[in-house]
Amino acid sequence: MTTPSPIRLTLPLTPEAARVLKVGDVVLLDGDAVATVGMPTQKRMVAEVEAERELPLFLRDGTFFHMGVSYEDSDRRPGAVHYVNPTTSSRFNHLMPTLIRGLRLTATGGKGGLSQESVDAMREVGCVYFSFVGGASALLSEGVEAVTDCAWRDLIMQFRLNRLRLSGFGPVIVAIDANGNSIYERLMSSARERLPEIMRSLRPSQNNETD
Amino acid sequence: MAITYELVKEVTANLYDWSLRRIPESSKAEFRKALASETEPQARQTLAFMLDSAERAETTGKFLCSDAGVPSYSIKIGSGARMEGDIRQAIVDGFAELTRTIQPPLLRFVTNPLTNERSFHGKDMPLVSWDLVGEGDYLDITCAPKALGGGRWAAVEILVSPSLDEIERCILEIVLRAGGQHCPPVVIGVGIGGTFDHAAKLSKDATLRPFGARNPEPRVAEMEERLTRAVNQMGFGPMGVGGSTTTFGVHVEYASGHGFTPVAVSFNCWINRRTRARIYNSGVVERIE
Repeated sequence: MTTPSPIRLTLPLTPEAARVLKVGDVVLLDGDAVATVGMPTQKRMVAEVEAERELPLFLRDGTFFHMGVSYEDSDRRPGAVHYVNPTTSSRFNHLMPTLIRGLRLTATGGKGGLSQESVDAMREVGCVYFSFVGGASALLSEGVEAVTDCAWRDLIMQFRLNRLRLSGFGPVIVAIDANGNSIYERLMSSARERLPEIMRSLRPSQNNETD
Repeated sequence: MAITYELVKEVTANLYDWSLRRIPESSKAEFRKALASETEPQARQTLAFMLDSAERAETTGKFLCSDAGVPSYSIKIGSGARMEGDIRQAIVDGFAELTRTIQPPLLRFVTNPLTNERSFHGKDMPLVSWDLVGEGDYLDITCAPKALGGGRWAAVEILVSPSLDEIERCILEIVLRAGGQHCPPVVIGVGIGGTFDHAAKLSKDATLRPFGARNPEPRVAEMEERLTRAVNQMGFGPMGVGGSTTTFGVHVEYASGHGFTPVAVSFNCWINRRTRARIYNSGVVERIE
């Protein structure tokens, strides 16, 4: 009952490399990723993509994470990283399909997963979703070497588009793969299916007659 | 002697700071139990990573999470407590000073709900609830900051003359809706009865109870055990990517009410930020958690 050692990958992935990954794969990440937790940020991104304008940070065929970043910012240039931590991706369900297709993302991630519309978009373009452990900032932050760039400085720090250089970031888990498989969808359907049986098993000896 | 503005300001600010850097002892104990009982290898690996990270945060003074959470205090006032100065203002001022000086700096997360502007202050910040309890000569202060991931899945449903089965079904449906989104293994607080607001407060208070302590009424304690088993059978697991450790415990509190029965359910993520101290009239500060 041991887990296999993590696969080491460098970001950005090619769509072909993304398609090879399977739900449940455990991965350590190196390379380049852009991260934000901002709702206004992603609304602005959608507006730019829909208007076919380039984003201020290059993100085409790239990696886009739902992750908060705190860093030294005294001379208006990103400096040392204080800490990072994922945020709940599902609150951006309505924006992500446009971003995945429009930017042809090959990897995204955060925590909590994305809805079926995003799963479909990911399958089309060849993109995976990585699940990070939330609240494990102390260890997760050690995999972020630097904030190499940031855009949209009018927004608060964690809402900006922050470009990161990762080194051994994770382990993270492939929770949605590029072939239409989603751990979140599978677990939710299975829990929903089991609920009646779980309810029945609550009081096996009493025949459920309580009133 | 009295409980002074200065003391409350210092203690409440410290409680918040401490809560950002260490998880409660009873949570650590639950992690160790789950590492032995969880059968999914990947879920065990996630649990081990969580516990390692929490230990790293505690020993190096790092934050557990980038979302420091809305500052939230539950204060129990002994009837013998004597206070000097504006105690509510002390909490406001302590938090304001902390956000200016804390290292590493906090990200802005206090959000005006009407404009979505973020800062470190705002209306009713910090959130504080006050209860009068017994005859003690102290303030018993719990700080439990609430982050977005754990805060957003709470719900209150109002049932009419429900059976116990219907109440439990309602609880499990709220739990199912949240899935594994709230950074499990969570603590689940359930408040049943009273009024809308009272049930919500009972639910919140239930999340503050340390793991391992059951409700003193056997009927309710059995319900807690039953619901804990049921939630873990759903299979969401640590971080919602599968496993049998979705909750470390369902805690239930209830109050009498009328024929309409509010059922409130709230969650605290695995880091379960919670610190607690008592300030006595003598000026002695006793750190409890």
